[in-house]
Amino acid sequence: MMHSYTSTTRPLAGDKRLLAKTIDGRRFNQRSKTLAAGSHVLLTVAALAWLLPIVWMLSMGLTPNDELQRSSKNLLPRAVTFENFFSVFSVGDLGRWFVNSVVVTTITTFLTVMFCAMAGYAFARISFPGRRIVYILVLSGLMVPREAMFIPLFLMFSGLGRQNTYDALILPRLAAPLGVFLMTQFYSKIPIEVEEAARVDGASRWRTFLWVMIPLSRPALASLAIFTFVLTWNDYLWPLVASTRAEWFTVTTGLGSLQSNFGATTNLGDLMASGFIASLPLIMVFLLFQRQLIRGITLGSGEK
Amino acid sequence: MTSGPGDIVGSAVLLRRKERMMSATRGVTARARRSTRRRQELLGGLGFIAPFMAIYVLFLLVPVVQAFYMSGFDWDLLSSTRSPVGFANYRRMLWGTGMEWSVEHALVVRTVIVFVTALAAYGTLKRTSSRVRAAVVVAGGLIVVGVLGIHPSSGGGWSDPAFWNSLKNTMVFTFVSTPILVVLGLALALAIHKRRGGALYRAAFFLPYVLPISAVTLIWSYLLNPDRGLIGGFLGWFGRAPIAFLSDPKLAMPAIIATTVWWSVGFNLVLFVAGLQDIDATLYEAASLDGAGYWRQFRHVTLPGLNHVTILVTVTQAIASFQIFGQVYIMTRGGPGKATDVLVQHIYEAGFRNYQLGYAAAMSVFLFVVMSAVSAVQFRMIARSA
Repeated sequence: MMHSYTSTTRPLAGDKRLLAKTIDGRRFNQRSKTLAAGSHVLLTVAALAWLLPIVWMLSMGLTPNDELQRSSKNLLPRAVTFENFFSVFSVGDLGRWFVNSVVVTTITTFLTVMFCAMAGYAFARISFPGRRIVYILVLSGLMVPREAMFIPLFLMFSGLGRQNTYDALILPRLAAPLGVFLMTQFYSKIPIEVEEAARVDGASRWRTFLWVMIPLSRPALASLAIFTFVLTWNDYLWPLVASTRAEWFTVTTGLGSLQSNFGATTNLGDLMASGFIASLPLIMVFLLFQRQLIRGITLGSGEK
Repeated sequence: MTSGPGDIVGSAVLLRRKERMMSATRGVTARARRSTRRRQELLGGLGFIAPFMAIYVLFLLVPVVQAFYMSGFDWDLLSSTRSPVGFANYRRMLWGTGMEWSVEHALVVRTVIVFVTALAAYGTLKRTSSRVRAAVVVAGGLIVVGVLGIHPSSGGGWSDPAFWNSLKNTMVFTFVSTPILVVLGLALALAIHKRRGGALYRAAFFLPYVLPISAVTLIWSYLLNPDRGLIGGFLGWFGRAPIAFLSDPKLAMPAIIATTVWWSVGFNLVLFVAGLQDIDATLYEAASLDGAGYWRQFRHVTLPGLNHVTILVTVTQAIASFQIFGQVYIMTRGGPGKATDVLVQHIYEAGFRNYQLGYAAAMSVFLFVVMSAVSAVQFRMIARSA
C-alpha cells in the first residue's frame, strides 16, 4: 500500500504476497499451535522434574526411619508418619537452631531495612557537604566480595570474646551497601514537592522521613526486607565461622553439621524432616512474597 | 490524587517565593539563616547516615584493611604469636622452588587470555576510539600472559601446590557453571516468556533458589548416593550399575556443578524474564512486519535488547561462582583427594585447621583483588544507572 504510487504492478504483487501469506499463515498457525502444545508439555515435565528433589525430601521426611533403611529409592512414601517431624525437635538441637535463625534473621532484616532507608534518604535528599564522596565510598563496598573477609572479621570478634553471640551473627551482615544503593535510587525518584509540602507544614526532617517518606517507599522496603530475609537465613560461611558451639549454630549451619557421615546414617527420615523444616520459612516467604522477592532481585542486580 | 498534590505544590511554591522575598529585604539575617541551614543539613545528613556508616566502616572497610595488614605476619590462631614476615605469605602462595619461564606453560589458558585481550582491545577502540586505552588493555593482557608463563621447573615445585589446585578447581567450576547457568537461564526465560502459566513455570524453577545451601546439599548428597539415591534407582531401571558420583574424582566436580545449576538457575531466569518484559513490544511488531521470522527476531531484537541484562547476569554469576564454598564443603570436603577443593575452602582450612591466619589473610587479599577487578565491571554498570 505504501509503495502503490511508485508503479502499477506493485499492488498486484503485494496482493499475491498477501494471499500467500494468509495461506502460509493458516498453516503456520496450526503448526505453531501444535508447537505451543508440545512445548507446554516439555516445560511441564521440566518444571516437575525441577521440583522432584524437594518432593523427595518431603516424602522421605514423612517415611518411617526403618522403612528408609530398607529402601530410600522411592519418590512416594511407602508408609506415612509424622513422627520424624516431632522427634527432630525433641532429640537434637534443631529447635535451638531454629530459634537462633529466627532471631538473627528478624533483627538483621529489620535493622538492614531501617539503616539502609535512613542512609538512602540522606544520600538522595539531604545536601550535606561530602555527600558525593561518602556515597561513592559506600558504592565501592559493592566490590568487596561477600565471602572474602571472614578471616579478619573472625579475628575481630574472637579478639573481643564475642564469638558465639547474636552480635557476631548479626552485626557484619548489616553492612549492606546494595540496600543503600536501592533506597537512594528509590528516594531520588520521589518528586521533591511531596516532601517540601510536608516541610512547609513545619514537619522536621525526621518527621518527614517517618511519616511521609517511609510510607511512600513501602514497596521498595518490602523488596529489600524479603531479599535480606532470604539471604540472611541462607547465609552459611559467616555463621559457620562465627559460631563454634553447637547451641549457637543457625538452622543452615546446623543442618550442614549433621551431614558429615551421610550414607551410613540410620535416621534418614529425621534428617530429611530437618531439611524440610529448615527450608519451610523460606518456602512460606516464597509462596507469600514471591513478587517482592523477584523485585528485590531485579533491583538488587542493578537491572532497573 | 490529581488535584491534591498539585495544590500542595502550588502553595509550596508560593510560600517559598514569599520566604525568598522576605529574606531578600533582610540580607544579613538571611546569610546567618543560610549558614544555620547548612549546619542543619550537615547535622541532619550525618544523623541519617551515622548508623549505617558506623557499621559499614567497622565491619566492611576495617576488615579489608585488616586483611592486608594480617597478610604481612606469621599469625598463629592458637598461640597468638605474630611476627612480621614481609611478603613471605605471598611468596608462599604464588612462588616455588626452581622457577622458570616458558612459552608453552598453561598454553590453553594463556591463549584464551590473548584472545580475550584482543577482543577487549578491539571493543575499547570501537567504543571510545581512544588508542591509549586500547594500548593499556593490550599491555595489561600481555603482562598477565607473561606472568602466567612462570612456573616451577621439573626439579622444583610450588610452595603451596594445594593453593594452585584449589585455584584451578575454582576456575573450572566458574568457567563451566557460569555459561550453563546463563544460557539455561536465558533459554528457560524465553520458553516461559508471554506464555500462559508462565508465572507458574517461573515459580517452579525459582523455588530451589530460596532453599538454604545445607538443605540443597542434603537432598543432592542422597540423590547422588549410589546405594540410597533416586538417581541410582533410576539407573537401576535400565539395568545400569549405580554410579558413586561424589567419590569419583572425575565425576565429583560435575556433580557439584549439577547441584549448583539446579539450585541457582532460577535467579538468572528471573532476571532474564524481567529483561524480556522491558523490551519494547513495538520492536517485535516492526520486525515481523518486515518479515523477520523467530530466529531473526531473536538475533536482531531480543539479544540486543537483553545486552545489558546478559552482561549483568554473567558478571554477577561469575562473581558468585568464584566464591563457591557451601556445596563443596558439605558434600565432598574438597574430596575425593583434592578433586573439588576450592579457593574459599582452602582459605577456611588454612585459617581454622592449620591455624595460619596470616597466610589465610594473604589468600583472602588475593581473592579480593581478583574479585574486585571483575566487580569493577558490575560496579561501573550499576553506577552508570545511579
